[in-house]
Amino acid sequence: MSLLSNKMGMKQQYWKGIEELENSAEFQKDKQNEFFEGLPLEQAIDEGQSLNTNRRDFLKIFGFSLGAVTLAACNKAPIKYAVPYVEKPEQITPSSALYYASAVLVNNQVIPAIVKTREGRPIKFEPNKNTQLVSGNLLAHAHSSLLSLYDINRIENPLERISNKLVSTSWEKVDAKIIKGLNEAANTGKKIVVLTNTDNSTLHAKALEVLKQKYANVEHVVFDAISYEGILEANEKSFGKRVIPNYKFSKAEVIASFNCDFLGTWLESNKYAEDYAKHKTPDRKGHMNQHFQFESNLSMTGSNADYRLPIKSSREGLHLIKLHNEIAKLAGWKQLPIKDELEVAGGMIKNSASALWKNKGKSLVVSGSNDVSNQILVNAINNMLGNYGKTIDLTNHSNFTKYDSNKFHQLVDEINGEKVGALIVQNANPTYANIKGYDFTKLLAKVNLKVAINTHLDETNTNFDFVCPDNHYLESWNVYEPMNKSYVFLQPTISRVFNTRQAYETLLSWSGEDVSEKNGFTKSYLDLKKYWIKSDFNQAIERGFLENEAKSIPMSFSVNYEKEAQKIANRVKINDNGLELNLYQKVGPRDGCDAPTPWLHETPDPVSKICWDNYVTISKMLAEEKSISNGDVLKVSSGKKSVKLPAYVQPGQTNGTIGIALGYGRNLTTKTQNDLNNLGENLYPFVGVSNNSENYTILNVQIEKTGKTQKLAQTQTHHSIEARDIVREASIGEYKKDPKVRNEHKHNLVSLWRDHDYSEGHHWAMAIDLNKCNGCHACVVSCSIENNVPIVGKDEIIRRREMTWLRIDRYYSFASGEEYLTEEKKIDKTSKTNKTQSHYENVRVAYQPMLCQHCDNAPCETVCPVLATTHSSEGLNQMTYNRCVGTKYCANNCPYKVRRFNWFKYYDNDKFDFYFNNDLGKMVINPDVTVRSRGVMEKCSFCVQRIQETKLTAKRESRKLKSNEVQTACAQTCPTGAIVFGDLNDKNSEISKLYKDERSYHALEELDVKPSIMYMTKIRNVEENKKDQHHG
Amino acid sequence: MYIAEIRNKLVQGDKKIADVTNDVLKSVEGKMTRGWMFGFAISFVFLMLMVWALYNTVTVGIGTWGVNKTVFWAWDITNFVFWVGIGHAGTLISAILLLFRQKWRMAINRSAEAMTIFAVICAAIYPLFHMGRVWLAYWVLPLPNAFGSLWVNFNSPLLWDVFAISTYFSVSLLFWYLGLIPDIATIRDRAKSKVSKAVYGFFSMGWNGSTRTWHRYEIVALILAGISTPLVLSVHTIVSFDFATSVIPGWHTTIFPPYFVAGAIFSGFGMVLTLLIIARKILNLESYITVNHLDAMTKVIMLTGSMVGLAYLTEFFIAQYSGVQYEQYAFLNRATGPFAWAYWTMMFCNLVAPQVFWFKWSRTTPWFIFMMSIVVNIGMWFERFVIIVTSLHRDYLPSSWVLYMPTFTEVALFLGTLGLFFTCFFLFVRYLPIINMAEVKSIINDRE
Repeated sequence: MSLLSNKMGMKQQYWKGIEELENSAEFQKDKQNEFFEGLPLEQAIDEGQSLNTNRRDFLKIFGFSLGAVTLAACNKAPIKYAVPYVEKPEQITPSSALYYASAVLVNNQVIPAIVKTREGRPIKFEPNKNTQLVSGNLLAHAHSSLLSLYDINRIENPLERISNKLVSTSWEKVDAKIIKGLNEAANTGKKIVVLTNTDNSTLHAKALEVLKQKYANVEHVVFDAISYEGILEANEKSFGKRVIPNYKFSKAEVIASFNCDFLGTWLESNKYAEDYAKHKTPDRKGHMNQHFQFESNLSMTGSNADYRLPIKSSREGLHLIKLHNEIAKLAGWKQLPIKDELEVAGGMIKNSASALWKNKGKSLVVSGSNDVSNQILVNAINNMLGNYGKTIDLTNHSNFTKYDSNKFHQLVDEINGEKVGALIVQNANPTYANIKGYDFTKLLAKVNLKVAINTHLDETNTNFDFVCPDNHYLESWNVYEPMNKSYVFLQPTISRVFNTRQAYETLLSWSGEDVSEKNGFTKSYLDLKKYWIKSDFNQAIERGFLENEAKSIPMSFSVNYEKEAQKIANRVKINDNGLELNLYQKVGPRDGCDAPTPWLHETPDPVSKICWDNYVTISKMLAEEKSISNGDVLKVSSGKKSVKLPAYVQPGQTNGTIGIALGYGRNLTTKTQNDLNNLGENLYPFVGVSNNSENYTILNVQIEKTGKTQKLAQTQTHHSIEARDIVREASIGEYKKDPKVRNEHKHNLVSLWRDHDYSEGHHWAMAIDLNKCNGCHACVVSCSIENNVPIVGKDEIIRRREMTWLRIDRYYSFASGEEYLTEEKKIDKTSKTNKTQSHYENVRVAYQPMLCQHCDNAPCETVCPVLATTHSSEGLNQMTYNRCVGTKYCANNCPYKVRRFNWFKYYDNDKFDFYFNNDLGKMVINPDVTVRSRGVMEKCSFCVQRIQETKLTAKRESRKLKSNEVQTACAQTCPTGAIVFGDLNDKNSEISKLYKDERSYHALEELDVKPSIMYMTKIRNVEENKKDQHHG
Repeated sequence: MYIAEIRNKLVQGDKKIADVTNDVLKSVEGKMTRGWMFGFAISFVFLMLMVWALYNTVTVGIGTWGVNKTVFWAWDITNFVFWVGIGHAGTLISAILLLFRQKWRMAINRSAEAMTIFAVICAAIYPLFHMGRVWLAYWVLPLPNAFGSLWVNFNSPLLWDVFAISTYFSVSLLFWYLGLIPDIATIRDRAKSKVSKAVYGFFSMGWNGSTRTWHRYEIVALILAGISTPLVLSVHTIVSFDFATSVIPGWHTTIFPPYFVAGAIFSGFGMVLTLLIIARKILNLESYITVNHLDAMTKVIMLTGSMVGLAYLTEFFIAQYSGVQYEQYAFLNRATGPFAWAYWTMMFCNLVAPQVFWFKWSRTTPWFIFMMSIVVNIGMWFERFVIIVTSLHRDYLPSSWVLYMPTFTEVALFLGTLGLFFTCFFLFVRYLPIINMAEVKSIINDRE
C-alpha cells in the first residue's frame, strides 16, 4: 500500500489523503466539491455550536471578551520560580521523568528519538532503538540540537519590517498583509515561490498542495546547503531513479570508500556507523569486515579504515577507473579503454579490487564526490560486483535530499527577470550557503513580498518583509517520510515557548484556512489524525515510527559509463601540481545551516581535536616547504575569493591538498555574547560548479602566510602514544593465532590495600570495545547534556580547561618503512630526513574513550583531605560536591586525568554567556544532577542518578534489576555499541561476558589501581605483524 | 669571654656590653632611616599586589591562574614548598645549633627565626588559597561538626601537611617569642614614650632579669629546642609526602624526604644570607654578624647543595634503572622536554654554582655571597617548579599532555608574598632587636 499516488499513474507528487489513493466512491463524490476538506464553518456546526448569536449572548460575549482583553493586556508576569501545580496534570509527577517517542530534526535529517521530559520540559534525547530501517541513533549534532529549543535567540513573535526594522507584531496582522501580498502576486501573474530545504513532512506537502490550489503559479523549490546531486543524477542516469539509495553497510564485508565520510557526516551516517560496526569486531573465526579508504583530508571514516591511501580528490575519478579495470580484469568484463597512468603506492587499488571481487554481492563502493561521472563509475563498479539489491537498495530509498540545483538556479534567473512576485523561504538559507556568489540583496529587491518561516533569524531572512516564527520541532505535530514508505512521527513534548505557529498551519492560514485550535487541539494534530488512517494512530505515535520494507526490486543498470570515464580522463590532468582545496563538513556543525548550538562547537573534531573555529588543514610537506606552523594565519585564495584562517598541520593530509570545513562564518545577530557569534570563515562562496553540480574540490588555490597567528582551541595537543601500553592493537592474523594477543602477559601485582567486597548487591562496570569506537563523539555530547556539564568556550579550551567528563583520546602512529612510529623523538627524527614526509601522510589512528575508571584502589580517594571522593559499595568512585573544598589533589593524582575542576562559576556568569546564563536555557538542566558550583571537582559518575532511579523503580516494583536495565548516557547513545555498561554481579549480563573476553584489558593495569573499565584490544584487518611494543 | 678553639672571635670590634645594646637598638630607638622607609614602601606595594591577587582569586575563581586540566598545581604549590623550605634554616639555627652548643648562632638566630615565621606565613597562604572554596578551608581541620559523622581523611598527605605546618608555625613562634622576652624587657626599660613602655611592657611578660626568670628562660628554650629539632626533619618530610605518596611519575619517589630536607636547609641558608648581608650593611652590624658567620653558612650551603645534587643524580639513575617507562620518560622529559630550561637552571644553581664555596675568597666576600644566595634562591624555586610542573604536564596518558603558563595573577601572588615577607621583615627590624642582645652579651669580652 502506498500513500504516494504515483502507483495510480497520476503525475501527482504528494498525497492528498488516503482516500485519494483508494479512490473510493465517496472520494469521487467529495472530489466534486469545491471545498474538498469541508469548510471550517461546517465543522463548527458539526460540533454542535450555534453560529447564531442572539443579542443577550452577544452582550455576554462582549463583556467577557472585554474583560479578557483587559486582563490579557496586563503584562504577563514573568515565571521565575518553581511553584507546585495547583491542579496537577494527570501524568506529571514532579521529579519523575516522562518519555515520549518523537523525533529530532537536524541538518535535514529526521531521526526517531525518545524525548525525556521532566515537569513538562524536554531535557534529553535518547535513541529510539526499536527501528529497523530508519536509524534512531543520535550523533553529537542530534543531542546538541535539543538546546535550540531553549535558545533565547529564537524568534518570539511574528516580525514585520517597519521603516527598515523587523518589529514584533501579531499573527492576525501578519497574515492579513501576507495574504494581500500573495493575492497581488497572483493577480499580476507573477510566481509565488516556496523555497525550502528538503522537507519530507507529508503534512508540509499537504500544505503546499492547498497553497497551490488557492493561488495560481505557486512553485516549490528545494535548496540544500550541501548537494548530493551527483548521486541523484547518477542514479537517474543509471537506473532512471533520482534517489539516494539505502546503503547497507551491515551486509558489506569489504568497503571501498573514496573521499566519503560515511561514518561522520555523509548522508545518514548515524545509520551507517551502526551497520559498519556490526562486522568491525572479529567473530570467533576471526572474521571481520575490511575497509579501504582513499581520501585527501583525513576524515573520521578514513581514521577507522584498515587501509587508507592518501589521494588527491581531483584524481578520484582516475582511481575509480583503475579500480574498475582491476575488477573487470578479475571478473572478465570489458575494461575501460583508458590508459591509466596513475601510480598507486603499494598496489592498494589492486588489493582492494581483489578483496571486493572475492566478496562480490557482499561489498560496497561509495564515493563522497558530487561529480556525476564519478558517481556513475561507482555505480558501474557496484553493478559489476553485484551489489545492487544486496548492499545497495534503490527500492527502499532514502529521502535525505531532494535538492535540484537546476531548479534553484532557474529560480534565481526568474527573480532576476522579475517574474517572482512573492518568495516564501522556509528554513533554507541561500544567502549563507551562497554557492555561486549571487548578490541576494540586489536580487531580493526585485521581489515584492518576501516572507520567511523559521525559528531563528539568519542571513537570508533578516532582510525579509515578514518573518513568521515556526514552532520548534519539539513543539510540533508532524509526520515525516525519511525513507520510502517509512514514516517517523513528531509529537510535541512541550507547549509552545513563544508566540510561534507551526509552518504547516502558517501556510494553511495563507491559503485562507482556519488554523485556530479546536478544543485545545492544534490544526496540525487534528489534520495529522484525520489524514492518518494507515494504521492505528495512537500506536504509531507511541512507537514514533512506522516502517515498511518493500522487497527490493532489481533495477537494470543502463548507462554508457565509458563516456563518463572518458569525461573524467579528459578533465583530470595528472601532472597538475597546483594546490587543491577540499571542503568538508565537521561532525559538529555539519553544513552549518542550523541555528548554532554551543555543544556543536565545544565538541572537538574527532580527528584534529580542534573546537570552535574552522582552519586550514595542511600536509606536513607543505608546512615544511613554506615553514608554516600550527596557528599561522594563512590567506587562502581562489580567483578573487579569499579567506584568512589559521593553519593546522594535519597528519594524513595528502601532499598537495589542503582542507577547510564548511559550516562556519555565520553572520548572526544574537542576544547572547559568546563564541557562537563570528566563528571562522564561510567557505560556501568557494564551492565550484562543475559537470552541472556543486564541486567541493577547488583546484589551484593559492596560500600565503599573513604573518599573523591565531591560537587553535584544541583539546589534545600530543598525538603520539609514545609506545605506551594504553591502546592495545593487533592485526587480524595475530588475533587468529591467539585471541589473547597483546593481553597474554599479565602483571604480577601485589596490593597493600584490602580488596573491596562486592559479593552482595551490584558491582557496576563498563567495557569499551576499541574496535567498535569510531570516535564520533556522540557519547561526549550525550554525557554532557545528561550531566549538566558546562560549556566553557574557545578561550578556556585554549587554556586547556574543557569540562567534558568523557573525552575521546586520539593517537596517530606514523608509517615509516615497515614500522609505525609512536614516539615523538623518532617521528621528529624521521621528519628531518624524509623529504616527502610520507610518514605524516600515512598514519594510523586509534581512538580511546577516556572517562573516570572508577578504580577500586583509586588514587584520588586516598589523597582527598576531606573525604569528598569516596568508594561506594557498588564499585563507584563517588564525588561529593558539597564536601569538596577544591584542593585539586585528587585530579593531580589521577593517572587518567579525567577529573575536571570548576575554575569559574559557569552559570549566571556573563563571561560564559551560553545556555546556563539565561532562564530559558537553564530549562534544559537535568534536575537529577547538581549544577556544580565554582571551586569543586567533578567527574564521570557512571550516571549514578540513572542507577539510583532504576534501582528505586525496581524496588518499588519488588523485583530484581534486569540485565542492561541501567544504561549510562554514553553507553545508551553509542551508535556502534562500543560502550557496554552493566552489573558484574549479574552473571548473565553482557558486561560479565565481556569481562571474560580475551581482548579485554585495563588501561595502565600495572599501576594496580584496579579500574572498573575494561578496554578491548583493537584488531585491524591488515596483513602484518606489528612488533610488540609492550614494555615488559 | 667565650672562645671557640676553631673559630675567630665571634663578636669583633672590641664591643662592650653597653655597645651591644646601643648598636642593636639603634634601629628600634632611632629615627626611621630613608633606607628603611624606601624598603618598607616597596615591600608594602608588593604586599598590596598580593591582596589584589587574592581578591581576584577568591572572587573570580582559580581560573584566574594558568593551571589547567592536567597541571592542577603549579606556582601555588611551588611557592608553598619554596617558602616552607626557607623557614627551615631558622629552626635549624635556633634549635639544632643550640643543642650542639654552637655559639656562633647567637648573632643570627633571632633574624633566622623571624625569617622562619614570616616564611611560614607566606607559605600558608598558598595551600589555603589554592583551594577552590577557601571559605570552607576549616573543613580540613578535625573539628567536631554538625554535618553528621563527617571527619577528615587521615590517609591524605594534605591533612598531614595541615598538622605539620601548624605545629611548625606554633613551635617556631613560641621559640622566637621566648627568645625575645629579655630583649623586649631591655627596650621597655629604655623606652621613653608611654605607648612603647606599655606595649613592650606587656610583651615582656613581667621580665625582671632575676635568676629565676633566667633559669626558666633557659629551661624552656632547651625544651623548645628539643621539640623543634625533629620538626626540622619532619616538616619537609611531610611536605615531600604530598608528592612521594602519589602515583605520578616524577613524584612517586622514596628519595624525597631526605632530599627535601636537604633542599630546605640549603634554600633556608640562602635566604638567611640574603637577608643578613643586607641587614648587617644597612644597620652597621658587621661586628656582630661577621664574615665568619657568612663563612660558616656558605659551608652549609655547599654541603646541602651537593646533597640535593646527589639526589638529582640518584633519582635520574633510579628512574632509568627501574625499567618503568613512565618514570624513565618523566626524567628524560625533565632534562630534554619543553621545560628543560627550568631543569638546567635548577641543576646549575643548586649543584654547580655552590661548588665555588670550596674557595676561601668566595666564602668571605659578602657581595659575592649575596649574589650566590640569590642564585640559590632561584635554583630552589626552580627545583620545586620542576618537580611539580614537569611531572604533571606529561604524566601517563599522552592525550592529556599540556604546557603550562602562569598568569599575571599568579605572578602577582608570588611577588606579593615576597612583599609580605619583606614587609614583615622591615617591621621586625624597626620594632624588635634583630640580634639576640641577651645571648650575644654572654659571648663578648667586657673586661678591660
